[in-house]
Amino acid sequence: MSESEPQAGQEAGGELEGRSFTGQSVRRFEDRRILTGEAEYIHDVTPPNCLEMAIVRSVHAHAEVVDVDTSAAEDHPDCELVLTIDDLKESYNPQPCGLEGYEEWSLADGKARFVGEPIAVVVAADRYLAEDMADLVDVTYETLDPVVDGMAAREADTLVHEDAGSNVADNVRLTFGDPDGAFADADRVVEGTYEWGRVSGVPLETAGVVAQYDEDGDSFHIDCNIQLHTLVDDTVYETLGRPADRVELNVPADVGGSFGTKIAIHRYCNLASMAAEQLGRPVKFVEDRIENLQGGDMHCSERTYEMRLACDDDGTMRGLDVWFVDDFGAWPHYPVNQVLKPLSVLTNAYAIDDVAYEYDLVLTNKTAQTAYRGFGVDPHQYALEMLVDDAARELGIDPTEFRRRNLVTPDQLPYRIPSGNIYDSGDYPGAMDRMGEILDENERCEGGLLDPEVVEERREEGFYRGTQTAVLIEPGVSGSDWTDRQRTDDETLANRTREDVAELPEHLRAEVKPDGTVLAWLATDSSGQGHQTLVAQLLADELGLLPSDIEVDYLDSVEAPTEYGSAASRMAVMLSGASVGVGERLRENLAALAADHWGVEREAVDYRDGRVELGGIDDALSLADLAALDDEGRTRVSYDYEHPATDFPEFDDALTSKYPVYPTAAYAVNAPIVEVDVETGEVEVLKFYTLRDCGTMLNPMIVEGQAHGGIAQGLGAALMEEFGYDQDSGQPQAITMFDYLLPSTKNMPDIEMEHTVHPSPFTETGAKGVGEGGMIDAPAAIACSINDALEPLGVTADRLPFTAHRARKRLREAEE
Amino acid sequence: MGIEDTPHSGERPTREISVTVNGEAVTREVEPRLKLSDFLRNECDLHGVRVGCEHGVCGACTVSLDGETVKSCLLYAVQAEDLAVETVEGLAEDGRLHSVQEAFHEEHALQCGFCTSGFVMATKSLLEENPDPDREAIEEGLADNICRCTGYQNIYRAVDRAADKLAADLEPARDDGEEGA
Repeated sequence: MSESEPQAGQEAGGELEGRSFTGQSVRRFEDRRILTGEAEYIHDVTPPNCLEMAIVRSVHAHAEVVDVDTSAAEDHPDCELVLTIDDLKESYNPQPCGLEGYEEWSLADGKARFVGEPIAVVVAADRYLAEDMADLVDVTYETLDPVVDGMAAREADTLVHEDAGSNVADNVRLTFGDPDGAFADADRVVEGTYEWGRVSGVPLETAGVVAQYDEDGDSFHIDCNIQLHTLVDDTVYETLGRPADRVELNVPADVGGSFGTKIAIHRYCNLASMAAEQLGRPVKFVEDRIENLQGGDMHCSERTYEMRLACDDDGTMRGLDVWFVDDFGAWPHYPVNQVLKPLSVLTNAYAIDDVAYEYDLVLTNKTAQTAYRGFGVDPHQYALEMLVDDAARELGIDPTEFRRRNLVTPDQLPYRIPSGNIYDSGDYPGAMDRMGEILDENERCEGGLLDPEVVEERREEGFYRGTQTAVLIEPGVSGSDWTDRQRTDDETLANRTREDVAELPEHLRAEVKPDGTVLAWLATDSSGQGHQTLVAQLLADELGLLPSDIEVDYLDSVEAPTEYGSAASRMAVMLSGASVGVGERLRENLAALAADHWGVEREAVDYRDGRVELGGIDDALSLADLAALDDEGRTRVSYDYEHPATDFPEFDDALTSKYPVYPTAAYAVNAPIVEVDVETGEVEVLKFYTLRDCGTMLNPMIVEGQAHGGIAQGLGAALMEEFGYDQDSGQPQAITMFDYLLPSTKNMPDIEMEHTVHPSPFTETGAKGVGEGGMIDAPAAIACSINDALEPLGVTADRLPFTAHRARKRLREAEE
Repeated sequence: MGIEDTPHSGERPTREISVTVNGEAVTREVEPRLKLSDFLRNECDLHGVRVGCEHGVCGACTVSLDGETVKSCLLYAVQAEDLAVETVEGLAEDGRLHSVQEAFHEEHALQCGFCTSGFVMATKSLLEENPDPDREAIEEGLADNICRCTGYQNIYRAVDRAADKLAADLEPARDDGEEGA
């Protein structure tokens, strides 16, 4: 696999072969400060006079909070402040929630709804003392029965929110085409139940905030590692009861991972800000790991799917019926719309016209959901591919052949799926075939992992090997407009026109500095994706400079306009477009500036290779010259790149229906080779083959890194990770990293990666969104490979994570 | 330590300790309960010591203590008394990165970077013990550190590259040895 050679990078300051830095594996600017320990993460931010906060949290899953006795803490000389719900209600507002009708305060109001829910905060000189003070707060509870199981919650007498009248916070049934007709007409209907365990991103850096209050301006400066700081800042400024321009959220250039999870850390931002205002001093809070895992508002999807596939005996897929429950925990936080994102890849890579889609979004006594890489698409792809495997077996068709027969073909692309989203480019059958070749050449041969003789030998020893390929699509570049679909009534939706569609562009600024280098500002925040390097590459090409001539900084939430930010596999595409726009504007301004200086027409000058030339090379002005000449601000520009789907009428249906529109469809065909020890139930991934296509690769080194990390998280979700709960008490069972198991070097196999390139016709550079891929495509691939391995025993991986315990249980059941 | 055992402000027990940190003697008056990780971060301003779990699983706080690789969140500062601590800040010389740091950069073995100090320290220690580790030895040697971003693929490559660099650094010395050039 020649293409799978590691993409070792090249130094950014060096000359490169060819004319373009974009497309090269330019090494990252971010690295040096990180490697030397100089990088400043949120836990390194400590302004003078700073105090620290600790949180008193509920020890019960569901309980009336009868009394919060703070007297012992308040009497202690080390205690600077205690805040309870009464203090909050005097001066502040509830936090905006993801659905209307839920009034969530930053501290539990009357009733605690999950273990770890904040009841009070205390502030002291340092964290050690603050925790001592927290121990002095005495909370009296009257416990209630907890609601723990998502399926049972739908019918439970106990309500998490009495006022809501039901534990089902949102239910929608959508139909596309004629699913009833397809199901009535098809030769057979195959159905299955598939469960996806409660997982999350669990970045190595927990949530953190340092809040400062300025009394003169009645304003807040909040350093924090929130994700999407210009989009979700309403969850902070509305709670604090101040206008947006007086609540500055500033995210450090270095954030220790987020993967979506840190979009919902507003509770901490709010509490620390309130404390800072009350005390008139900076207040810092960094979550500890137990707080983070137990009650940090950071779990993600926990779903039970009941899915049906209508198909004909010749192996044609006719209709799909999707029903699922998603357990959102105690509060419907903002990412409620992750129950809708699967609509963007509703039928995955299969041509199916008639589909029904329904969900119950339920509330239970668990910590709330946030976003996680994939945003709800990962469980959908898993359940759908499980169903396809089950259907193939029922039809007696080879699962690979069954898939291949139903794939969207290259001549159908761009292809509109029933829910209105459009797949842009690719060759799905070609990718399946290529992976077949790779396996034949490398593994299904003498001495290979899938050498039939070896497979047979291992099976006799109790180790079952298998692999199953499938095309899995990663929807890229979400727009923002659809995200409040759940708050929009049917009549409004029915009457929407294209003019009603409001998208958020990507904002980028750049300025020529006196020394002729360029300083650019991102309006988004980063958490390890290498955006600084990427923008330097892109702008270097636009301006005829070296990437090392371009410095990239960040804007805070007040300086930057409201925009979407780093989520939904957006940035490769959005930053490409914004960089091209900024580059054009700056080149044009600089040319005009030079023309004015020379007193010639604009047409007489050219911008070329980092300078402006007059009539060939009679005279030239460098960027430093131009910076010195500029007294009208013409060496400083900004550009707002519009979401690409807004340019294409093909997306009208989905946009006006407020369905998720993701105009790029990166895809992968994975072939993890798994081996199941049928005695212990342990599943090992021996090697992970992956063939990936994300269109034009802006920086192949970074693209591969994203895929590696996503696949590792996918492996975790498939085999190891889960936030379990005791079904009786509602106590969380994974509150340390000893319980919530992240993949280590011991679990990760070699990843063999190959790329194809089908550029997107919808984007500026042909790039597609690529950040979430591995997490979306690895779990389904591993599950289906387990199905293949255990096919002789009639066992499938119908519940993830497919832990050794669950595997043994299924194997025992199959024996009976 | 629970609050019952904690005297009021100003009365908490403290102890003076001396620790050699990246070659420099540091003397501080600390509470016995102060974690070594917090001592290094807050008393010595060595922020490269990252704190990811505080229960010894993630390895972000990995440092070297008298040549031994330890997780500084599992030790108290007083336990480092009279010992030598080395952190990631002590690796670069005259602005030139250590071979392990260079290799991590060149192989894109870091993304968010929060685990990186720990991995660099663990890799340095691994290569000191085993200058030419095979894959199994690398997996074993780095199993006490968690990375959530890279899937370890590029970390494996970085360790191989660092081993090559360190071996190349030793070449001239070997040339002078008994076997000759």
